[in-house]
Amino acid sequence: MTTTTAPAARPRHAGLRRTLSLGRSNWTLMVRNRTTMLYAFALPLFPLVLLFTAERSGGDVNAGVAAIGTTLVMALTFPGYYNLLSMFVTRRDELVLKRLRTGEVRDRELLVSMALPGAAIVLAVAVICVPVALAGGLELPLNPLLLLLGVLLSIVTFAAFALWTAAWTRNAEAAQLTSGPIILLAFLGFMLPAFPEDLHRWIELLPGAAVNELLRVAWFAQDSGGASLSFLQTWGAATQPVLVLVAWTALAVLLARRSLRWEPRA
Amino acid sequence: MTTRADQPAVSIRGLRRRYGTGADAFEAVRGIDLDVAPGTIHALLGVNGAGKTSTLEVVEGLAPASAGEVRVLGLDPVTDRPAVRRRTGVLLQRSGFVGDLTVRETLRMWAATVTSPRPVEESLALLDLTDRADVRMRGLSGGEHRRVDIACALMGRPEVVMLDEPTTGLDPESRRAVWALVRDLRQQGATVLLTTHYLDEVEALADRVSIMRAGEIVREGTVAQIVADHPSQISFRTPDHALPLPDGDRDQDGELTVLRVADLQPALTELLVTARDRGVVLERLSARTASLESVFLDVAAERDRVADHPHPAHPHPEHDAVLEDAR
Repeated sequence: MTTTTAPAARPRHAGLRRTLSLGRSNWTLMVRNRTTMLYAFALPLFPLVLLFTAERSGGDVNAGVAAIGTTLVMALTFPGYYNLLSMFVTRRDELVLKRLRTGEVRDRELLVSMALPGAAIVLAVAVICVPVALAGGLELPLNPLLLLLGVLLSIVTFAAFALWTAAWTRNAEAAQLTSGPIILLAFLGFMLPAFPEDLHRWIELLPGAAVNELLRVAWFAQDSGGASLSFLQTWGAATQPVLVLVAWTALAVLLARRSLRWEPRA
Repeated sequence: MTTRADQPAVSIRGLRRRYGTGADAFEAVRGIDLDVAPGTIHALLGVNGAGKTSTLEVVEGLAPASAGEVRVLGLDPVTDRPAVRRRTGVLLQRSGFVGDLTVRETLRMWAATVTSPRPVEESLALLDLTDRADVRMRGLSGGEHRRVDIACALMGRPEVVMLDEPTTGLDPESRRAVWALVRDLRQQGATVLLTTHYLDEVEALADRVSIMRAGEIVREGTVAQIVADHPSQISFRTPDHALPLPDGDRDQDGELTVLRVADLQPALTELLVTARDRGVVLERLSARTASLESVFLDVAAERDRVADHPHPAHPHPEHDAVLEDAR
């Protein structure tokens, strides 16, 4: 019989191979669980219905940002963030992670492989948004590359949130409560109009608001004031929300690294 | 290969492992030295909480040592992790698998993480799991689950295998099968370091054994050596009239008088002759040469004595209870 890789294979390739095959197993498990799959897609896609309500249809940018933004943040929060959190915590409890860590897999490969199924669903939801938005009378994304990079960055941010939450979550049941702060952080950004004017610049620093802002800039080429941007200007306008997401990611990774456990508490 | 024939496959020097800090701190491993020769089976024997798993976790590279040094195949299990992991196989005392994957899917997933894995079908056959290949993990019995676990440990044809209580929870037939497998590993040149609290397992498998108690190795050698150093034991119901006894350690265990003697036959002859001469009947008389079991029980009894009467060498008489918690 042959082995899949020669022992001399370069470590980097071996790492990628391990990550992808573990990720594939995690995907198999996700697909096998129909309820998870249904929720993973149905929940985030539901807000897109807003695009077809009579009053708001007809390509209104604010309505578009609201509907698609909610969809993206829902996808990042549930199939992305919450799914990784609960997978990590459950497998830690069941000693699956401890077992895998006795083998050749590196910790970061293990983490990435667990984030992959959620990441795939967020990307799929983002892609589905495009034809639905078109049908709802909106235009195609004006800077699709920036949009894609923004979605990828947000996936990383929310995955980092999941690890940070896992660091202080005792077990799978506790995750229902410990996920609260992040869900709040994700959705507070939408309630901008509900806050007094002088709080706005602080709300804009929340991850959910940054995702919304990136969406507005990359898809509709509009800044937060509603002014139109050229293709080149969209890159500049994306700087602040990108920095906000990078900062949140760095903070979450830093905190997670300090206290993430791989075994259940004794 | 970095292994030389004269180099131990596993080498431990002055290993200490502390849990917690300040007043809650306690030491689960208290400075042990150990060498495991290549191609041998070495058993760490001890009651629960003796420090076997705490020791093994450092050798496996899962936990850092508080002090001391560990080398596996001449390498540091933490800093040389990738190189060590490619050549070692680990079986944890307790471990989990994802319940919704089948046995074959589980082994396939594990194989994908191993540099040069055995074919999955070979692994299935090796652990007699071929018939169960398409059953989901959550549907397996405890023994079958353990066999999948062992199949993963052996997936990369490891040079050093670390098995933490490999047969705990297995039925007698599966235990024998695992023993045969472990002997095969040695036959093929692998080194095996295992922990157990089963005496028959040590007698059946181990080339050398280290008996651990309260974080220290208190006896070490081949089973024959350990037993040879240990006194034989004569016991009988303490007679109403005092009887002169042969030389040896004398102890009272309830209504029994217990004698420990280096050489059983002359001591027993002397005792029986004296008893006959004085017309004393020795009720419940029993005499036995040392066995691994008697050594082990004596070691455990020493522990109890330590726990009952704090000794300067053991400043924490409560550590036994704490050790149980730590596992």
